[in-house]
Parts: sequence; C-alpha cells; structure tokens
Amino acid sequence: MDGPLGNPQPADAAAPARTNAGSSGHDRARRVHLPSDLDPTVFDETFLRQLERLQVLMRAPVRGGLKGGRRSVKRGQSVEFADFRDYALGDDLRQLDWNVLARLEKLFIKLYVEEEDVTISFLIDTSASMGSGRPSKFLFAQRAAAALGYIGLASEDRVAVTTLGGRAGRRQVALRGSGRVFRLLSALSAIAVAEGPTDLQAAARHAGAQLSGRGVIVLLSDLLDPHADRVIRELAATGSELIVLHLLSPQELDPALEGDLRLVDVETGDGVDVTVDLATLDSYRQRLDTWRDGFADLAARRRATYVPLSTVVPLSDLMFAELRRRQVVG
Amino acid sequence: MPFVAPLALLGLLFIPAVIAMYLLKLRRAETVVSSTLLWQRLVADVEANAPWQRLRRSLLMLLQLLLVLLLALLAARPFLERPAGLATDLVMVIDTSASMGATDVSPDRLTAATQKAIEALRDLPAGGKVSVVAAGRTARVVVNATADLGRVRAALEGLRVSPATGDLGDALVLADALASRSGDAEILVATDAALAIPPTTRIEHTVKVLQVGRDGRNQAIVALAVRQGASGVSRSVFVSIANLALQTAQRRLQVFGDGVLLEARDLLLDPQTRAEATIDDIPFGVAVIEVRLDRSGGAPDVLALDDRAWAIVPPERLRRILLVSDGDPYLETALTYLPNTELYGVKVADYGPATHPELFNLIIFEGTLPAELPATPVLSIAPTSSSVLGEVVGTLKDPAIGSLDPAEPVLRYVDLSTTHVGTAVKLALPAWARTVIPGPAGAPLLYAGTVSGRPAAVLAFEPRLSDLPLQVAFPILVSNLVGELMGGSSTPSQALEPGSPVTLPLPAGATGLKVTKPGGETVDLQPGTPGGGSASFSQTDQLGVYSAVPILDASATPNSAAPVVTATPSTTATSSAATGLASPTPVPTPPSADPNAPVRFAIDLFDPAESNIIPGSAAAIVALGGGLTSGPDRSAGSAPLPSAPSGSPAPSSASPAPSGASAGAGAGAGAGAGAGAGAGAGAVTDRPAARDELWIPIVLLVLLVLMVEWLTYQRDAATRLWRAMRARVGLAPPASPGTGTPATHESRRDR
Repeated sequence: MDGPLGNPQPADAAAPARTNAGSSGHDRARRVHLPSDLDPTVFDETFLRQLERLQVLMRAPVRGGLKGGRRSVKRGQSVEFADFRDYALGDDLRQLDWNVLARLEKLFIKLYVEEEDVTISFLIDTSASMGSGRPSKFLFAQRAAAALGYIGLASEDRVAVTTLGGRAGRRQVALRGSGRVFRLLSALSAIAVAEGPTDLQAAARHAGAQLSGRGVIVLLSDLLDPHADRVIRELAATGSELIVLHLLSPQELDPALEGDLRLVDVETGDGVDVTVDLATLDSYRQRLDTWRDGFADLAARRRATYVPLSTVVPLSDLMFAELRRRQVVG
Repeated sequence: MPFVAPLALLGLLFIPAVIAMYLLKLRRAETVVSSTLLWQRLVADVEANAPWQRLRRSLLMLLQLLLVLLLALLAARPFLERPAGLATDLVMVIDTSASMGATDVSPDRLTAATQKAIEALRDLPAGGKVSVVAAGRTARVVVNATADLGRVRAALEGLRVSPATGDLGDALVLADALASRSGDAEILVATDAALAIPPTTRIEHTVKVLQVGRDGRNQAIVALAVRQGASGVSRSVFVSIANLALQTAQRRLQVFGDGVLLEARDLLLDPQTRAEATIDDIPFGVAVIEVRLDRSGGAPDVLALDDRAWAIVPPERLRRILLVSDGDPYLETALTYLPNTELYGVKVADYGPATHPELFNLIIFEGTLPAELPATPVLSIAPTSSSVLGEVVGTLKDPAIGSLDPAEPVLRYVDLSTTHVGTAVKLALPAWARTVIPGPAGAPLLYAGTVSGRPAAVLAFEPRLSDLPLQVAFPILVSNLVGELMGGSSTPSQALEPGSPVTLPLPAGATGLKVTKPGGETVDLQPGTPGGGSASFSQTDQLGVYSAVPILDASATPNSAAPVVTATPSTTATSSAATGLASPTPVPTPPSADPNAPVRFAIDLFDPAESNIIPGSAAAIVALGGGLTSGPDRSAGSAPLPSAPSGSPAPSSASPAPSGASAGAGAGAGAGAGAGAGAGAGAVTDRPAARDELWIPIVLLVLLVLMVEWLTYQRDAATRLWRAMRARVGLAPPASPGTGTPATHESRRDR
C-alpha cells in the first residue's frame, strides 16, 4: 500500500484509475481512493494498474450471455469477418456482399464473429486448514482471487465468488463490469475461514450445481481433503474450464518438525503420533510430491489446469510469471 | 575370565533400568498442523515396514545396553593370567653413571635402560612390590617397596644421568639389603655394564641384568691443569685426552679462556691411547679455562659429558702473614717460599694492639701467645701457657709421631715417617680441634680447627727443635697449614669430582655464600656454625664452573671496612720495630685483592674408567647374585636377561626350579642348594601369576560404542552435513525446501 485509505468513495469512482492505465509517469501522483470496507492489506494502486493489462484466456470460444469482449461460438455483430453463406429469405440485406453479387451474380451473406462475455467463478476453500500457515493460505487465496477477478472485470467478464465451507458452496457475489471491482474486493475481504470440518467434495458439488453455462472455474484450495481428487473430477465435468490453484504453506512443504510429536489436525482435532527425523521428513516430502503429482496427472487428464503454489510466492510473481507461463492469463 | 573387582559387575543392574526407561510411555509434544492427511498416510507406510523400523528405533537402546555392559565389565577389571617372570619383591638397580649418557642407543642408554625396566615390569606377579635404586656416584633409593607401578614408572622416567663415576657395587649391596626384607626377591639391574668400579661383593639374591649399549666410540678429556711457569709470569694449560675406542679418532681440541677461543688443535688419536697437549702463554687475567673436544671430520663420539672440561686459574691474591717471633730462620725461609704472600715480622716484646693484627691474614706466634688473641687466623707454635687455643699440661721429650690420617688435607704430600722431634709442649686436645699429627698418649703434636669463628692451629714443637726443617715435608707442611688457616687451600684450585663436597672460605663480614651452579641455579649457603669461617657445599652434581659470591651483612660491612683504612698509618711505626726477620718490610698496605671477589671452582669428570663406555660383561654382574649358593654352578647358568620380557615367562611356569630367573640366572637355586635357595624355591611355588588387565580393548570398545550411539542419535545432523558437503562439491543438489512448483509435471499440455 502506498498510503492511507481514507475518504471512501463509491465503487464507480474507481473508473478513472483504468483510464489512466499506461501513463506510468502519473501513477505515483494519482491516488485511488479505496472503500473503507476493503481489506487494506490486499492490493496497492500500482498492482491494480498492472492487472489491467492482463486477460483471462480460454482454450475455446464459449457461449456466453451478454455482449462482451470475448469471442463467441455465435456469429454476430462485430467488425471481424468470419465466413460467407448463401442468402436465405429474410436475411438482412445490409449484410449482403454486393461485390460478390456484382462479380458472380450470386447472393452471399457475410458473417461476423460475435463477441460475448463469460462467467469466471472463483471457488474459495474456507476450511479451517486454509487458515494455517505463514503466510496464510487463505489470505493468499483472497488476494489471488481478487487479482484474477479484477482481470475478469476489466475484460468485461462476469465474476462470481463462491466459498466452500462445511458442506455447502455459498455464492458471495456475482459482478460484471470493471466499475464493480471494489465490490469484488469488499466481498473477498468479508469472507472468513469456516469453523469445524469441511466436506470439500460436498461443498464443491453444491457450488457446481449453482453454475449456469460454461465458463471458467478457478478453485483455490489446499486440497487437504481425502476426496480432493473427486472434487477436481466433478468440477472438470461441469463443462467449464477448470483452473486449480493448489495452495500450500512453507510449513506444509517443508515441515520444521523434529522429535516425538503428536500432530493434531486443526480441522478435525484428530491426532497422529509420529517420530520425526530426517528419514521421516524425507518420506513426507516424497509423499507430498507424489500427492501433488497425482493431482497434476488428474488435471491433465481432465483438461484442467493445475498450478501448485507456495504461499511464499509473491503475488506479482504469481500473476505475471507463473500464471502467464501456464497461459492462465495473457 | 577372572576379575580384579567382581563386585563391580553389580553395575549390570543398570540394564533393567535402561530397558524400563524405554518401556515407559513416551510423552509426546502436541503440535497443531493444518492437516494430518499426509502424516496419516506416512505413518501407515512406516507401520508397513514395521520390523525394520522397530529395530531401528531400538538401536539406541541396544547400544546403551551394550554400553552399560561394557562399563560394568571395565569396572570389574577383567584380566588374563600368565606365569610371572619376576619375583614378588623386585629391586631395580638403574645405573645412572656418566657412561649411561652415551647416545649409541636412541635417545641414550639411560632412557633405553628405563624403558627396558618398565617393560620388564609386565612380568611382575600380581601384588608384587618394586623398589628402585639409582646407582650413581652413590646409591640412592628412589622408590621403596611400592605396589604402585605408576609411581615406579614415573620414578624410572624421572631418573637423570649423573655426570659422575658410578659405583654399581654400592648400589647392589643396598639393593641386596632391600631385597632381604622379603622371601621371594630378586634384583634387576639395568646397566651398560661399562663399570668404572667393577663390583666385587657377592650378594645373596638373584641378579638379572638388562643390558644396554653397543658402541664404545668415545674420546675423553681425562686431565686438565693450569701450571705457572718457572718465571712465575706465564701460565700453561696441560690437557690429556684419551681415545678409549678401538678405532683411530680425529678430534679437534679447543681451548677457551673466559669464553674466548685461545687455541684449537686437531689431534689424531690412536686406539686405546692418550695424548697430551700443552697450551702456553695463557693471557694474564684469564680466570676460567675451558677445553672442548670437538669432532673434526671423523665420526662423533657417543658420550658428550667428557668432551668438556674446566679449570680455574689460581687467583692472584696477595696474603699477609705476621710472624711474632724472636727469630726462626727455618720457618721464615719456608714462609717466604709461599707464593703471593708477604711476610711481616715483629719481636715478641713489640707485639701489641698497635701492631694492628687485623691487617694480616695470618698471625703466627712462636713460643709466645698474647693474653688477648687477635680475630685473625692464628698459628701458635710451642705455646708456653694455656689459653683458649689449648691447655699446656707439660713437656714431651722425643715424642713419637702417631698414626697419621691419610685423608688429612694438611698432611697431603707430607711424609713424616723420618721425622724426629726433640722437645715438644704437651697439650691437651681442646674440643674445637682435630688432631693432625698425633703424639704419644693422646697428646697431639699438631691440631687445627676453628675457635671463636677463627681458624686456628697449634704446633706443639718449634721446628728448629726437630729435624723437620731439614726434610722436604717441612715447606709442604707449612704451605698446607698456612693454606688451611688462610682459607687458601680450602678453596679448590684443582678440579673436583662430581658430587664431592667443597669447603668454601667465608670472607670477614660475610654472612653466607651464594653459589651459582653451571646451569645458572643459585644456592644460598650458611656457615656450619654461626660466625664460622667456611661453608660446605655439596650440590656439585653438574659438570662445569661454580661461582660463590659472599653474602655481605648490609649493616656490618661499612663498620668492618673502616678500621682497616684508619689503622694503616700507625702500622708503619709499630712494624718498624721488627728486626732480624727475613722480610722486614713493615708497611702493609690495604689488600689489593678484593676479599669479596667470587670464588670459583670446577667440577670435572676426569675418569678414564668411566669414560670407557665399551659395554662390559653382564654375566659378571649376574654371577654376583645368589651368594648363598655355589658360585661355579651359578656362573655357569648365568646370562644376561633377554631384552624382550616376553621371552621370559615360560620356564618359571613349567617348573618352580628355575626360581623365576628366566634365562638361567638363578638356575642353581633348584635341587639342593642352600637353605636360602630352598626357601626361595618355596616362595616361587606360591608366587602369584602376572596379570594383564584388559582395560585397553574394553575402553576402545566403549569409545566405539559411544561413537556409534552418538552417530545414531545425531544421524539427522550427520546426514544433513553429508548432504551439504555433497552439494558443495557438486555431487548432489541441495535439499529443496519445496517452492511449490514441482518441475516434473506441467499440467497444461501443449496445444
């Protein structure tokens, strides 16, 4: 953060920030006035401006709802030529190719690419295990969702945020338009880690049922659930494009444990007696790698994108390097 | 396996304690983690490999149990028994004479001998006691009947070569006396058998010899003297060098005067011969002559002790003698021949306080004695009345001279066998004096001593009333006597043997002497009697030049010096009355020589027999042992003990007859020798075996187990260290902390 965030403004007031994108000389001089209900630790102004240049890529054109900035499978009104077809009765004569008619004396109608919007759904795991780790996995998920959501709004896409806690997926917000970015951020700030055990499979299934049409699903979770693979399988089966951001803290990747310990699960309270030594840690790391490789294989089979992440990765690196490299954003 | 302390095996009771500690439920620290999902699967894997994992977990316990076992074993002190090769009571005689400093064996013979002696201790039976006698110039008991072998080893290693002629016979007699305290005793001698004084006394107990030394190449300075030339001006140094080797030797002789090289000569020495060298014209003022024998291209000799010698140039001290007499030409003539001496004379009637007797170093009263004796040394000749010097009890006619003491310094080189005395005063020997020339019926003819702090002597007859002045002995006797009284002869001008005591004169006003040894150490000496005129110094255990400086009494020094100066003018008038004497110069001046100047004396080896380091016959020493048995049998079976002690135990275990003398040294003690031998044989039968304690391998094993236990406990740290080292040398990548992006999988496939 560059400065204090006082003097709250309506969310639409953030529009000028976008118009000034690219004028880096004025970036530091101009301030964006953020709403007070936004978690001030999430973004700063420079970061937001950098996000404006990104866009969420999709592998294939999708059928959207409203007119948007994304190629659609439908033919419609735009400036980009797509194809010809024979004239049929009732066609708009304005689309007739008069040049062809003059040359060949045949009637052809010019078709153009239709541009529509898609829905980017963020499924954020709010189980108790997400609250652990330094830096916190949940905080990392909030910021990553906010960053990607901002890109989506800037690309005239619909952005929906759903939390997975307990056994249910609760839609927090569904927005469209770049002017709604602060509502998105406020909504993300407001969600918290759920108490008690979470059935990730049931919650994801519940959230998947709420999706309408094909779009992009971004799952942000530590996948520390015995049925995490089913979650990926079921979400990938919805027809939407699935992006799994697998978040793990450094304490989970490389535990600093030693000696005779009783490890207590923060979510369930179950304990495991273990004697941790170097050999045990080696086995743990091996098992962790195998576990993550399993997710990666599953995602590859289901045409999903699997991104294993450590919460120590800076968000800028995540957005501009890691996700770009994996062609999640471009 | 027998144990010295079997009760210590109770330490094995700690084994259940160790097991109990492992059986107690482990209290684990609770740690909250985000999920136990992965850990549960890990534990499942571990349990799948349970047998090995269980064994690995219990490895520490097994090692600790082994450690307890080994420590208990160590505390119990297990040992192996083998037949003892030595008697229960062992007396070790270590030759520390000068020849043991020879370096023909590394590092020298004494060290090699002590090492052999220490190795021989392994054959000592359990509970055996050891005494150690150092055989230097005199025998010295270093350790007396101790079972503490560590103390014996320390004492043996602490022995030093004494630069003196050794007397092994004296040490053997002492060792025999020590051995007599026990029924089963023997004497072990460690020597090179190059003996200056071959022992001849037969001793009762068995003697074994550990012999060292193999080479006899040695050249030695065997004599050194400084002589004044006939003119009395020039001085010469006489050196005698002996080649005691069996080969021709080439040596360089270097003569130093007060540390400055005066002359160097190369000498070619034939085998077993002596060579003399004379170096003339020693510069005036040189006080100490040092002679060194250096190698000159040839092979070096192996004994350095006798390659240096020192001599003291006699000091040019002017001494004054006052003769109070009515005239005795014989005595006056004899006195005038004394070097560095001024003779003054005064008539008996003219002697008085005005004569200033304190200005003289010696006053001789002939036929008279004043009522009050001066404080200076006094020689009284034929006193007429009783005094503190002696009680006159009569007159002797033609007294016969009694048996003389050959060790009496006053009579050195004095032959009185043809001397006859006409008339003498019969004196009673006072308590302070010793008889020098005994007379008839206990009446001494000459006695000397120290009375009231002053040297004094009394001659009972006037020389002119005997035929002594007509004999060669007279001037020698006068010289010795005057030297004794003035302290001149007691200051050793000739070299002394190491270890011999030295009597040093104490100048007036001095309370003691500070003697500086050649090594630089200083010793403060006090006179034997308060106010005595001399002090005895016996720490002459180093070769070289000793220097003695008077310790002056700070308060008395100025007072004693003052009268000498003020009395000088009046002496002229008094002494002018002296007439008819041979040297009537009546003007004594203050002494030119400083009486407080340091007195030097030299200690030199000068013993060709000791310098002859060719190893002798050990069998001759062995043959001295077992005096109660028949000699020829013993000598036939005598042989030096083999140097390796391991070869000795077998015979004594096979039969009690050899009495533990492994190489046959005590072979005669077997069948039917004397009673003593029989007793010895009985003792040998009951002799306990030697013990080899096994603590060294056990300690090594304990250390090994400790190391394995530590490595097992710290295996993680060791593994990390190993990985870090491999990573550093590029053999393996460093352990990845898991950045969250496994490089193995790219989930998005290329389209």
